[in-house]
Amino acid sequence: MDTETGPGTPVVDLGDEELLEPGSAVLVPAETSGYPEDIALFRTDSGRYYALDDECPHEVASLSEGWLEDGEIECPLHSSRFRLCDGKVLCLPALRDARTHRVDLLAGRVLLHPGTAAGGN
Amino acid sequence: MSIESILIVGGGLAGFTVAQNLRTRGFTGTIDIIDPAGIPYDRPPLSKAYLLGDKDAAGIELAPASWFSEHRIGLLRATVHALATEPLGVELEDGRKLHADTLVLATGGSARPLPVAGGDLDSVLVLRSRADADTLRGKLAPGIRLAIVGAGLIGAEVASSALALGATVTLIDPVETPLVPAVGPELAHRLHAMHSDAGITVVHGTPAGIKRTGAGHRIELADGRVIECDEVLVGIGIIPNTALARAAGLATDNGVLVDERQRTSNPRIYAVGDMARTRSADGTLLRRGEHWEHAMNTGATAAAAILGQEPPVHGASWFWSDRHGTHVEGVGDMNAEGTTILRLKEGEPVAAFNVAADGRMLGAAAIDGGLMIRAARRIIDRGIVVPPEALADPEVPLKKLAR
Repeated sequence: MDTETGPGTPVVDLGDEELLEPGSAVLVPAETSGYPEDIALFRTDSGRYYALDDECPHEVASLSEGWLEDGEIECPLHSSRFRLCDGKVLCLPALRDARTHRVDLLAGRVLLHPGTAAGGN
Repeated sequence: MSIESILIVGGGLAGFTVAQNLRTRGFTGTIDIIDPAGIPYDRPPLSKAYLLGDKDAAGIELAPASWFSEHRIGLLRATVHALATEPLGVELEDGRKLHADTLVLATGGSARPLPVAGGDLDSVLVLRSRADADTLRGKLAPGIRLAIVGAGLIGAEVASSALALGATVTLIDPVETPLVPAVGPELAHRLHAMHSDAGITVVHGTPAGIKRTGAGHRIELADGRVIECDEVLVGIGIIPNTALARAAGLATDNGVLVDERQRTSNPRIYAVGDMARTRSADGTLLRRGEHWEHAMNTGATAAAAILGQEPPVHGASWFWSDRHGTHVEGVGDMNAEGTTILRLKEGEPVAAFNVAADGRMLGAAAIDGGLMIRAARRIIDRGIVVPPEALADPEVPLKKLAR
């Protein structure tokens, strides 16, 4: 598994591991992460954190405003669904997978690795 | 007999979905989509982003040309003249004959003409295809007087877009408050009022005739009122394109009749999207679905059925509409027998829920409340009984109730 951070995108400490309630999401703006795109940070019902590019690969819509359930995010605009762990597109109308960003929990902190693909689990 | 070749007649969302799903389900044989318009495109933007010029033709393609070659899906820019059943295939307008093991009909619908004198004038505009949108866009300019007959989804969206492009818009409908069956009276009322608030002249009346007047048009209403305008757009629904199917002897009744797996009366021919109408196993004819998601869902079902795989389960039907910067969504059935529960925000209804006597939700509609509709959809599909007071309380997130 690639543990290196992408060039020019240092790890971002987003805050305490309770920063999101289970089953919720938040937008991490490009200004915050230093990554060129907005990123959506998700926390599943089981408490795990994942991050994807915020913009749906189909059209301009914010995945952080989508429906989060069973480790999947459903786009608020046209209901394409993506698997959080690897960004895999699960149904039309989107055709492309969503880009993942690695998130680590370390010493109770949520650490985002912008530009580094998640491990897929 | 194993299936090696599949021909899809019509490249809208439904036909496209069949092809895409066949590949994701592992079909490796030949797939061809025949459509005179070429690369499949998405229709909802035609009344909105495409009409406004925010998106161009490439921006509304369902997939780029490279995607079709990568997935070995042939695109044949042609018009089908007739279907052939023995051997199975199609005859194109130029006389060419193509054969396949399975045919999928996805021919959609045509804009329904206004059934009055002058309703068939060439100069009367409709909006169904990208070419229609191009024609309409070419007519719209600041100060142009556009009259729209029909204030349903298309009419309302075009009215909003035309207004943004500087046109002077009159919106005519014989129904005082359109969309009541889709969103219930309370939200329909609020949505319809947005037109006049935005500066559109809203006319409650029934057109009796359209005449040309020099460069413009005159619409005469049944009560004698007259509306002078430059252009007329009619948006009163569609007629399913069933001519090919009828000529081939397939069973039709306001749509090509299909079973729950989208199979027509010929087991090697499937029909999907707006033009297909389901006849249940017990013989009941269902209402023909015309929404975007229905096209996608029936395409997905047909792909599974063709390959003999378990078809996907689809939930309550869902639609959306955008006008005057407002996003509307509806799910399920707002028209079924039930009680309406409203959710208010600052005294205005933002959501309406239709709840059956046993407490199950039948339908929901919301203004700028997409996440609420996603929750409602799960509540409907899972048969969850939610306390009415929680539905009405704007402080209770619907998402919590869906779990």
